[in-house]
Amino acid sequence: MPQVLDTLDLAFEVNGDAVSVKVPPGATLLDALRDALELTGTKLGCGEGECGACSVLLDGRVVNSCLVLAAECAGAKIVTIEGLAANGKLHAIQQAFVDQGAIQCGFCTPGMIMATHALLADNPTPSEADAKRALEGNLCRCTGYRKILDAVLSLANGGVAHD
Amino acid sequence: MTVIQEYLAPRTLEELTRLVGDGEAAIYAGGTDLGPRWNKDVVEKPATVIDVKAIAELHGVRVDGEEVVIGACTLMSQIEADPMLRKSAGALAPAAGRVACPQIRNRATIGGNLCNASPAADTAVPLILLDAEVELASVGDDGVVRRRVPITEFFTGPGSTCRKPGEVLTCVRFKPLPDTTSCAWDKFGTRPAMEIAVASVGVMLEQADGVVKRARVGYGSVAPTPLRGHKAEAELAGKRLTAEVIERVTAAARDEINPISDVRAGAEYRRTVIGVMLGRMLNDAAGA
Ligand SMILES: Cc1cc2nc3c(=O)[nH]c(=O)nc-3n(C[C@H](O)[C@H](O)[C@H](O)COP(=O)(O)OP(=O)(O)OC[C@H]3O[C@@H](n4cnc5c(N)ncnc54)[C@H](O)[C@@H]3O)c2cc1C
Ligand code: FES
Ligand code: FES
Repeated sequence: MPQVLDTLDLAFEVNGDAVSVKVPPGATLLDALRDALELTGTKLGCGEGECGACSVLLDGRVVNSCLVLAAECAGAKIVTIEGLAANGKLHAIQQAFVDQGAIQCGFCTPGMIMATHALLADNPTPSEADAKRALEGNLCRCTGYRKILDAVLSLANGGVAHD
Repeated sequence: MTVIQEYLAPRTLEELTRLVGDGEAAIYAGGTDLGPRWNKDVVEKPATVIDVKAIAELHGVRVDGEEVVIGACTLMSQIEADPMLRKSAGALAPAAGRVACPQIRNRATIGGNLCNASPAADTAVPLILLDAEVELASVGDDGVVRRRVPITEFFTGPGSTCRKPGEVLTCVRFKPLPDTTSCAWDKFGTRPAMEIAVASVGVMLEQADGVVKRARVGYGSVAPTPLRGHKAEAELAGKRLTAEVIERVTAAARDEINPISDVRAGAEYRRTVIGVMLGRMLNDAAGA
């Protein structure tokens, strides 16, 4: 079996903090977050782009971190679910998911919330159709989606401030 | 099981073509086709990965003389939103917007979509309607050598193209469609999102006084490669879009495709779906 010859030293920004990690060249961004940085909020569901549980923001765009190589993130800005709450207070999107009962087992929730974050940054007043489209890459096996959509729409229509 | 041992991200096309050399390393763009295969050990992982995204000239949409040029690394989400493409690239922007989901559209590149060469690649049929060409670059004695290939000749089978191992796809080129043309494209699957097409079809029409002056038809997921519909086009040329003409065109379409039966649909079903979708598009065009 071939040896891993190299370990990469990578520097990037996660949730506003400069971090450096050592990972093998084939590591995914998800591996770097969960294993090297111990940010385990981001989940590994399918590992093939189907479920969205691994969604993070990479330079402002929502992506599946299971399909991104850590190596290409040198210098990038990454936001994970751990980056949303501030000063011990949940982010408005997190609070809306709690308030609307949009969380059951919670496995899909970090990905759902990051995808919602990307939607609202782009379109602060989404329609239900916009919300469905924004979450089309996120699977939930518990809620039946209704309460998740209610949470997203409560942010759109309730005038809750978000950044 | 193999392990990726080296990650390279050249900054110029010249450096890239030199590195790609004999084609042993994997060319890596958005990783949305490669990543799932690597993660699931469906294929041997390459020792070396060459990321093409650090090269500025492979990004973005620009005009070059009479042509619109889309860099190989341009994302589906960028194609979907680009004002120039929305105006003059027919079905390309809407089709890019129907790929997978936001997370994938923010990573999937047009170059990767074409080089992966799935018969279901959603940008292929819209590019057939545009008579687009792809540009391939490789290293020569005096630097980078480029050649152009019409999109219909690029695909040679499921997962294969005429791209040689040392070549990189740099861009897609086409002449913008004039305002006198109209385009329609649709794909069919069992749900509206995250669906690889069971069948897709597109049509471009240039009509004058109710007569079709020029037509292009293309099909996806119904042959070993994305396919141009020469027979359907021939039935359209010089005709008015009457019910009889539309019937003949859809019959020609069902006849000239070559679908297979697989886990997602049967061949006969695919034939029917193509006829129905194309018929609807032509009826819409007739009413317009
Ligand atoms: C969940 C999911 C859903 C999907 N849904 C769709 C869909 O609805 N429609 C659709 O069409 N596709 C879909 N795909 C497939 C994929 O997203 C697209 O084909 C995408 O455009 C591939 O681009 P990429 O940049 O990610 O390619 P990569 O994975 O980086 O590369 C794909 C192939 O092309 C080669 N390559 C890439 N760039 C170049 C270049 N410039 N020159 C030479 N070779 C190159 C690579 O070596 C590799 O063989 C889906 C994928 C996933 C995971
Ligand atoms: S774990 Fe990345 S999309 Fe499912
Ligand atoms: S809450 Fe369990 S998967 Fe969504």
